[in-house]
Amino acid sequence: MPREVEPSLNEKQFFVKALEENLRIDGRAFDQYRELDLEFGDELGVTDVRLGKTRIHTHITAEVTTPFPDRPFDGLFTITSELSPMTSPFFEPNRPSTTEILLSRLLEKTLRRSGALDTESLCLIAGQKCWSIRADVHVLSHDGNLVDAACIGVLAALQHFRKPDTSTEGESVTVYTLAEREPVPLSLLHFPYCVTFSYYSSTVEEGETVTLLDATLLEEQLREGSATIGINRHGEVCQIAKLGGVPLDAVAFLGCVQIALVKVKEISVFVSKRLEEEAKKRDKGGLMAELSAENDRVS
Amino acid sequence: MFVLPGEPLEPATLPSHSTIPLKLGPGLLHIPPNTITPTVAGLLRTDKRKNAVWVEFNGGRYVPTTGDLVIATIQRSSVDVFYASISDYTPNATLPQLSFEGATKKTRPQLAFGALVYSRVSLANKHMDPELECVSSSTGKSEGLGPLTGGLVFNISLGMSRRLMLAKPGEQGGLVILDELGEQGAAFEIAVGRNGRVWVDSKSLKGTLAIGKAIQDIDEKSLKVDEQKKLARKVAREI
Amino acid sequence: MTNATASSAILSHLHRADGSATFSQNGYTVIGAVNGPIEVQRRDELPVEAAIDVIVRPAAGVGGTRERHLESILQSTLRQIILIHNFPRTLIQVTLQITNTPEDKVAGSKIVQASSHLAILPTLLQTALLALLSASMPLSVIFTSVLIAAHKDGAITSLTPNPSLVGFESADSVHVLAFTLEGKLLLAESQGTFTLDDWDNILEMAGSVCVPKDGADIEGGVRIEETKEDMTTFVKCTLEAKVAQDLHWYT
Repeated sequence: MPREVEPSLNEKQFFVKALEENLRIDGRAFDQYRELDLEFGDELGVTDVRLGKTRIHTHITAEVTTPFPDRPFDGLFTITSELSPMTSPFFEPNRPSTTEILLSRLLEKTLRRSGALDTESLCLIAGQKCWSIRADVHVLSHDGNLVDAACIGVLAALQHFRKPDTSTEGESVTVYTLAEREPVPLSLLHFPYCVTFSYYSSTVEEGETVTLLDATLLEEQLREGSATIGINRHGEVCQIAKLGGVPLDAVAFLGCVQIALVKVKEISVFVSKRLEEEAKKRDKGGLMAELSAENDRVS
Repeated sequence: MFVLPGEPLEPATLPSHSTIPLKLGPGLLHIPPNTITPTVAGLLRTDKRKNAVWVEFNGGRYVPTTGDLVIATIQRSSVDVFYASISDYTPNATLPQLSFEGATKKTRPQLAFGALVYSRVSLANKHMDPELECVSSSTGKSEGLGPLTGGLVFNISLGMSRRLMLAKPGEQGGLVILDELGEQGAAFEIAVGRNGRVWVDSKSLKGTLAIGKAIQDIDEKSLKVDEQKKLARKVAREI
Repeated sequence: MTNATASSAILSHLHRADGSATFSQNGYTVIGAVNGPIEVQRRDELPVEAAIDVIVRPAAGVGGTRERHLESILQSTLRQIILIHNFPRTLIQVTLQITNTPEDKVAGSKIVQASSHLAILPTLLQTALLALLSASMPLSVIFTSVLIAAHKDGAITSLTPNPSLVGFESADSVHVLAFTLEGKLLLAESQGTFTLDDWDNILEMAGSVCVPKDGADIEGGVRIEETKEDMTTFVKCTLEAKVAQDLHWYT
């Protein structure tokens, strides 16, 4: 098993001193995200997220299958996030590392358990046929903050994806191909994004902690605690994960939730803008207006 | 002249010398008796004086070569020897504890995990783990080698390391940033490792960061000479 | 939508990998990353040569038997061209992530996959080669590959190089061939029914598609987009552009 690479002593000492002087190694403010870039693929439901040098590719696919026997009215939604040696030679296939397990667990809690995707809308025939939506997250390059970037990627892809149109007659379901009918968007109830905080015990003041947002790989390796908050732009907290690490003051932690809300609003605006631009690009010739069933009002 | 792997070189492109035999540098493979083929994609370069030919290329992973100066990270120490890492995910190199200036059996250097050392590769071949030394084997003096304390280490491409270590970086490598910074009055220490690492230390943390980032920017964005001069002025103002 | 026959490549864009390439051809897009030579596990160590590990990840789902088969074909091909004797007891890791496959507008609700996995093999081979060149991994030779579909119509067999998905699905036999720059055959994988005469014709056609005709001149002014005839020129142009950018400082 290849050993994970650890930062050198010089980097550790420099980093601690820099935090004392309110400096970050890449020059950002403590609560500033790196440059976020979102691109869509030619296929529907394919996104490429870049957060600084972290790059994540997400792929959504849909398949008709049978629902779970104990949940006959719900469709299926799975998120896979296996890390490959492309991310780093440290990650071997079929050997889940801590990073991988944490990533898939946080995505599971934030996106699946919170009901971001309405699984009831995926049901075709109760107890017999339903849609199974599958999100594959491929990490192409790891420079820290995989959770936030993966969340953005999956949510943007879910909004971009269109599943084939269907019609049901009694016990039989007809699935229309892309050539026969326009595919329909998924039913998303809310958009919970993740914001990860990294904590470092302060050397300036006893018992205080320094908080950084959007840590790079080096900052992640040197951090002493972290918390991930899954929250949507309405201020509803979907999940909070603070797994060990340096203890935090509870009131200060609530402050972090407020910061997370601000960041999530910014991210939501950004993703919506990119989706609009993408829709315009695809809709050359104004076909969407023609497809609409609304009649123009005659005054 | 652009070359690709597997295209045998025409004898006309190779230099010839009356007395010195032809020396093959990196990126070339000799297939006896008479064929020389490149093994990487790059530009073919020749030196008529030394009768040498090699392929100039950038990128990839550092492969330890005897005589190179590298910045290594100490991983652990045992009875007589330190184990240091030259590049990620490769076997550690050995660095004898007595291979430092003024070290005796009673006074060995104490290097912790993660300490950086500027050392020379004393032994490197494909069959053995590489070996390092922090002292010149002929004179016994360190000549600038040894532990690097303070400062910060930055990752750069192998091509950039090569440019920084040329005898005349400005003329041969199109690199004027260090000279310009010196002219602007910036005070800093720098050590360049052929393994894609450069160590910078200056009086202020901001200064160290600015210089290191400037070198990384020149590397990633392929900045030209005049852009480097502008960058040097900006960095000098920040310090 | 990209033109089905145009190819494009981007090199060295992943910052943590030693070499990387994204290559698109015929609707397939693959991102490749190369790491090496790095430390190898004791159990995979080879005493006089480097071990080569190829990992193919599909766009959707986890890999299965198809991916393992593609990996074994790629591993045995790459083993021929990488100078593995330069790095004994090390590992060279090649990871290939498929990100795009051509859409099939006629298919139903199941995840669409070509009935034969050979369709994506030329793209995988090319991406692996470009990633190795980007990592400056010593190679003994470079190669290009092509996919050929053969349709039988009575006694006449028509051959289509780089067919569309429809052409591929309806073919009687499909073949993937790889040639070195000198025109030597490196890999030949076939599936379906065909005669030996068909095979001779396929061999000739594949050779003409992969390797440039004699006297082809590749001085400047050649576009990066592929001329449908010639994959070798494409690889040369891409690499020449990359080297020119890397070594812009060399006087």
